[in-house]
Amino acid sequence: MRGCVRLALAGLLVLAASGIARADDVLKARIGVLRLSSSAPVFIAQDKGYFRDAGLDIELKFFDAAQPIAVATTSGDIDFGITAFTAGLYNLAGKGTLKVIGGMSREKPGYPLIGYFASNNAYAAGLKTPKDLAGKRVAVTQVGSSFHYSLGLLADKYGFKLGDVKVLPLQSLSNAAAALKGETVDAALLPVSTARTLMDSGSAKFLGWVGDETPWQLGAVFASPRTLVNKPLVTKLLAALARADREYHDVILAAVKDGKVPISETTKPLLEIIAKYTNLPVEQVVGNCAYIDPDGKLDVGNVDNQIKWLQSQGFVDKGFDADAIIAKDFVKPD
Amino acid sequence: MLDRSTHEDPPPTEAAPDTRQVKFRGAGFVPSAGRRSGWIALLLAIGLWQLAAGAALVNPLFLPPPTAIARAIYQLAISGALWQHLSYSVMRIGLGWMLGTAAGIAVGFAIGLSSLARSVGITFISALFPIPKIALLPLLILWLGIGEEPKIATIALGVFFSTAISVYSGVDSVPRNLIRMAQSFNVPFPIIVRRVIWPGALPSILAGFRITASVALLLVVSAEMIGAEYGIGAFVLQAGNLMQTDQLLAGVVILSLFGLAVGRLINWLETRLLHWR
Repeated sequence: MRGCVRLALAGLLVLAASGIARADDVLKARIGVLRLSSSAPVFIAQDKGYFRDAGLDIELKFFDAAQPIAVATTSGDIDFGITAFTAGLYNLAGKGTLKVIGGMSREKPGYPLIGYFASNNAYAAGLKTPKDLAGKRVAVTQVGSSFHYSLGLLADKYGFKLGDVKVLPLQSLSNAAAALKGETVDAALLPVSTARTLMDSGSAKFLGWVGDETPWQLGAVFASPRTLVNKPLVTKLLAALARADREYHDVILAAVKDGKVPISETTKPLLEIIAKYTNLPVEQVVGNCAYIDPDGKLDVGNVDNQIKWLQSQGFVDKGFDADAIIAKDFVKPD
Repeated sequence: MLDRSTHEDPPPTEAAPDTRQVKFRGAGFVPSAGRRSGWIALLLAIGLWQLAAGAALVNPLFLPPPTAIARAIYQLAISGALWQHLSYSVMRIGLGWMLGTAAGIAVGFAIGLSSLARSVGITFISALFPIPKIALLPLLILWLGIGEEPKIATIALGVFFSTAISVYSGVDSVPRNLIRMAQSFNVPFPIIVRRVIWPGALPSILAGFRITASVALLLVVSAEMIGAEYGIGAFVLQAGNLMQTDQLLAGVVILSLFGLAVGRLINWLETRLLHWR
């Protein structure tokens, strides 16, 4: 009997030891992402094994909106989050529960991402360019969202007051698309993936891309302070991501013409990876590729501008700036 | 078993040797709401919550302390925004509830009184009631735009089905012998409906009101997803979008205070309309 117990104890010890040994060579982490092509480098790094090469065991957790990713990172359900900046994210970061560690997608001229779209009636009545949005009824998903901020940047660029635009938060992309189709709003800000079906069926008119009008830093990589303590993990993750960023930039983004990626021998393998993770056919992925800096740099000046704008609108608590929410050890500023 | 019962019982009296005395067993099953105990429990819960927050047991972001919520409500009230939000929501809830209730009572009575309406109506209600109203929002926007109409319609739809169901089951539960008696006295149909069936069905109609009033409060948040600038629902949604958890809970507290007020109103209606019980 005693022999049995000893044997069992020895077995347990061996198990525990091997567990520790394994934890030493492979670092586990969970990343929260959206199934959008704006997270393409994450999918490439995961699919081509760049995380594994860096000694990481990464599990991707998929979400359906940007906000829950920020919340899940704060609560510790995921270790890293990769998604667009939102007012909610800044409010969490302002309380010190999140730090930005790197840049991701950007609005940049020539790369369609978010667009301004007019209803057919409003277009017929003279709403032909983004500049004409002053004084119109414009649908966005949520107050303080990327769409709302893009509209604010547009107002600054053309010198009209955002207060003149009637901003209507409809809570979801499908609601905003329905309002545009049903002619109950004059215009809406929509991502290219949602807008394409509307344009193809002739129920909305294209006005312009946010990237062409007002480039800005749309997405980022962020983590909770708890995760940042583990420096090797963060460094390895960012290095693997930078490797994928570079490949995505050199293969896909360098090939973009008229907002579309030509399908060729070189681009096809990566496009197929993006298609696999976003559940879209390759034909739709080609017109839907967000710009991402090849070195994973973050436009810190723009982040500060976003925070100031959101604070001036009353969407983000006052009393902090970009410096307070950026992990300087890791971020490569632009 | 038998041993024990003889053991516990007092010795049989001389009057009836084969019957045993039993204690009165008919008490209980009449719950009465005490005046204070509910409030005391609520205050205790709030006190514990505040203590937990004060002792830094919970992150204030995840669960803001009651004082932060009270401060948010106070700031909302002094800025005047609270009244604006409340008036919009009260208007939407009031109109939606009245429309839904009027239609629900009409359809419920039709189902309770006519065979044709019953076979058609119950099928439709069973088919349409379980549809989540929130899934219909894009369609409601296409049909009714983004003004007040779709918001009121969302609430009215939710209220209508519950009301119709509680009204027809109320009509069904009116004792048939009362109706038969009225018929044997040759009372005309409209008067039977007004004097026998309506009062007989009223208790369950009022119980239905209690549910539909809460349904209307639940749905005001969904309804105000449709491009609302003002309204308690819109306020809660915005606070959620911006991760301002103290404001979010402030909105929730206002909604539940509203629910308490409506519950009081229905209590008052019950005592006035059902005084014959």
